[in-house]
Amino acid sequence: MKTSFFPIILLVALCPCGHAQQQAERKPVYRDAATHEDIVKRMRHVERFNPMKQLAPSEGEDPSVKNQPVNIVDSSDILSFNGVTTLVPKKAIMRIPDQYADRVNRHIPGYKVVGWAEFYTLNRGWITPVEVSREQAAGRTPIAEEVQENLRENRNLLIATFHTGPISLLPLKVEEPTVTQITPETPAP
Amino acid sequence: MRTPLTLATLLLTAATCAAQNTNFQNFVRQVQLPDNTVWNVPVDAAGEDLSPLAINPGGARFELHTVSSDPFVGYLLDTKYVSAYTPVAEVQIRTEDPYETVPRTRADRPFYVDITTNGLLNGDSDPEASKRVKILHHVQSYGPGGDGSGVDRTQASLIGQGFLESNGTFRMTYAVNSVPGGDRTKVRGEERFSVFSLADYQSPESHLDSLFVQIWPVADGTLSGITPGQLIRFQAPTVTISVNDIYPDAEIYAQVYPGNESLGTVGVVVPGSALIIKEAVPQNRILTLEGWDDVMTSDGVWTMELLTSTPFGIDRLAHVTFTVDRTISVNGSVTTID
Repeated sequence: MKTSFFPIILLVALCPCGHAQQQAERKPVYRDAATHEDIVKRMRHVERFNPMKQLAPSEGEDPSVKNQPVNIVDSSDILSFNGVTTLVPKKAIMRIPDQYADRVNRHIPGYKVVGWAEFYTLNRGWITPVEVSREQAAGRTPIAEEVQENLRENRNLLIATFHTGPISLLPLKVEEPTVTQITPETPAP
Repeated sequence: MRTPLTLATLLLTAATCAAQNTNFQNFVRQVQLPDNTVWNVPVDAAGEDLSPLAINPGGARFELHTVSSDPFVGYLLDTKYVSAYTPVAEVQIRTEDPYETVPRTRADRPFYVDITTNGLLNGDSDPEASKRVKILHHVQSYGPGGDGSGVDRTQASLIGQGFLESNGTFRMTYAVNSVPGGDRTKVRGEERFSVFSLADYQSPESHLDSLFVQIWPVADGTLSGITPGQLIRFQAPTVTISVNDIYPDAEIYAQVYPGNESLGTVGVVVPGSALIIKEAVPQNRILTLEGWDDVMTSDGVWTMELLTSTPFGIDRLAHVTFTVDRTISVNGSVTTID
């Protein structure tokens, strides 16, 4: 009868930690608590055989300290009313009427933080979402004039949304006009 | 390009352990690079969906945040960068401790790091950012008595970096940690392994994945109230057990057995000395043992040991050998008047 070692090899390969644990369950490993000197010896080994040295060397600034996600509370505007609070990206609020100014960026202790959909359901009376396109959100195309006209008459707090989710509305990028150098006429001597 | 939002929902699923409490509300954000348009993605608590917000050539970063109502604090739980040709990377850390919430181990124990990459290209005309990723190794101490809460990870020290240029799993074995600290038995902190994409013409170096392993100190303990060689004749003395930096998943107990100290001997657990710890951070404890005479069943030399049982085995923290002599010998003679 042929004996296949494949399942055994597979098991051993898949469970490097479990194996040690099983051994420990069979017979406890007793030792004196490690000392500073014991660990220093092992550190020397790590320094000599540092696995990072197997990688192609790289240098440069630490990318983990820049271009990091910002804390969501710091990078949001906070809407609070009637016992609930939600967070929307900065620049998502298009207009804050004076009568609702005290509901923006004033989290009241005890208010429950909820998602946008739940908050809007409870506060339809004073919030109007304005659906924008990806191009409009990125500031590459303006919001249609007729939409802007309608919004002028709206007295609610306006929030830019994309597929019902609040989105930051970047300032419209205006193409730099071609500058024509105008040389003043030189007065005739 | 329509991008599977599976990434974001996977993040959400991964975070449910941390944020199942109704005090927390999760938010998934898609940040378009390089212009930083930020969109709060409407997602269900579980499942998967496609993001309708097309990815720019500069890519997009998906972020999973959770915000607690009281206190009003936001936490970044996870983040993934996605672009047209940026490879996918995953970091896994294995230790001897089966704790699932966060990889953790002890200052004297090894750990293993697996970095798996997919989608790296190798053609001559392929963009540089598609051919390799950068691996970073950071260490950070929590300070004396620190437990890692509120740690500012931008203050971590970068102790190694390199490029990974092939797909598959790259395995690294660390015999012991490198967290800064003078007394190597008492370091407490974390080591973080991160994978970053390379800067491209429209996107900076971006975080693909990272994971950290927590390092907790080796416990130390003392048995006081009994001294080596002490003779116990009548009542056993009151013994005080003091243990510092008990590993978060550990049992502490004192045992006695007849004879001189011999590591590995299984004795009788002293009543009142056993303690089970199931915590997230190391603990300190003081116990007092009184009236433990019954465990010494005969006269002679005995040893008491203070032990801690952890996922790494059983460590002896202290021991003391003493003598028991409770037999009363009467020296006398009998005489008669005859």
